[in-house]
Amino acid sequence: MAVFRLKIITSRRIFYDGPCHCLIIPGLDGEQAVMAHHEEMIIAIKAGEMRLQVEENGDWQYAAVGQGFCQVAHNRATLLADEIERPEEVDANRAREALERAREKMRQKQSVQEFHMTQAAMARALVRLKETERFTASPDRRQGGSVGGYGKSR
Amino acid sequence: MAGLREIKSRIKSIEDTRTITSAMYMISSTKMKKAKQTLEATEPYFYTLQSTIDRILRHIPDMEHIYFEKPEIKRTKIGLLVITDDKGLAGSYNHNILKMAQRFLDDAENQVDLFVVGELGRQYFVSKGVHIEENFQYTVQNPTFNRARWISETILDKYRTGEISEVHVIYTRMESSMQSVAEDKMLLPIRRPLEETVPADVYQEDFLLLPSAKEAIDTIIPNYITGFIYGALVQAYCTAHNARMMAMESATNNADDLLRDLKIMYNRARQAEITQEITEVCSGAKAQQMSRNGK
Repeated sequence: MAVFRLKIITSRRIFYDGPCHCLIIPGLDGEQAVMAHHEEMIIAIKAGEMRLQVEENGDWQYAAVGQGFCQVAHNRATLLADEIERPEEVDANRAREALERAREKMRQKQSVQEFHMTQAAMARALVRLKETERFTASPDRRQGGSVGGYGKSR
Repeated sequence: MAGLREIKSRIKSIEDTRTITSAMYMISSTKMKKAKQTLEATEPYFYTLQSTIDRILRHIPDMEHIYFEKPEIKRTKIGLLVITDDKGLAGSYNHNILKMAQRFLDDAENQVDLFVVGELGRQYFVSKGVHIEENFQYTVQNPTFNRARWISETILDKYRTGEISEVHVIYTRMESSMQSVAEDKMLLPIRRPLEETVPADVYQEDFLLLPSAKEAIDTIIPNYITGFIYGALVQAYCTAHNARMMAMESATNNADDLLRDLKIMYNRARQAEITQEITEVCSGAKAQQMSRNGK
């Protein structure tokens, strides 16, 4: 089983540092998967959901990722993002409030700069909310579909 | 020799000041502990970000982009992000930063737009009568990523519209727990490393940029700027408390020295007074005795 070395660093901590079998990240134009011996590349990441599989056929670990980028070279990947949260770390209430705030702001007149900020904030809040739903979803729903049972590993 | 009463009142006033400085020392050292935790958590991000960007710049194809330097164009409109603390009493911390900023302002060739974080910096420039372009009203306490986002958006917006052609950030970086240096970093445009001559037999990595080179740079560079500003804010906050802690520690020590000297002076003066009184009593008694004997 081929693995590659993955380092995920956020502004607050080192999120993950170790071997990885498969990493899927939200690129600007869609999801991008990285496996061992991937070609050298740099990919920009937008706010979205990322997942990684440490072992082949192992459990998928999910996380909400903010803006950032990922660099792959020599069978090593470095992912830098402003924030990454595991589903169980997301504060659903805070995310919901942030979403409400962003929605409220969207309705008001604002400068282009403010609009971009609000848009980004809204995207972040939506992703985080989505992750919390995954975590709190009922067990049978979790096992069905492509989710692969995040809860089993815990 | 100064009178007893004067020495006593000086001792009292120094003791009062010492209480304040030692309390400030305690406050700063607790805040500093917290700030240091944040700093340690951010440091890997801060340094990996810079090294990764350097690496990317070495390897991406030759391309023109608004964020990259064009050597033939002279840049005179400078955006200056100055990060100071909210309060003084931190030794030379604020002074070093402001001195560096002043050097930019003194250069007559440049037109400088100031972006100021921190109350002390704002007051300094206002008192000098310098126009502040954007004043980030909040204090520099407890920096968050959201603030960094807002600051970088404001600056990038001005850069994209061409209002400023160069962006510098002046902040204090923590070298070690004892040393910190004021640093001036040019954020934009990004200077690409000079073309190195690589031996033909060395494998050159060639990065694929996704989704496209332009789009990737479009998102990665602003992200880098935000990350850098956040890192700079965290560094500045931590060094400010470190500087204040050290300044207050030396102030307390100086107060202790002064107190010791004054106590010696006080005791001497007291003894001199007692000696004098005894002499007076003795000589008075002797004079009486002599006059009685002479009778």
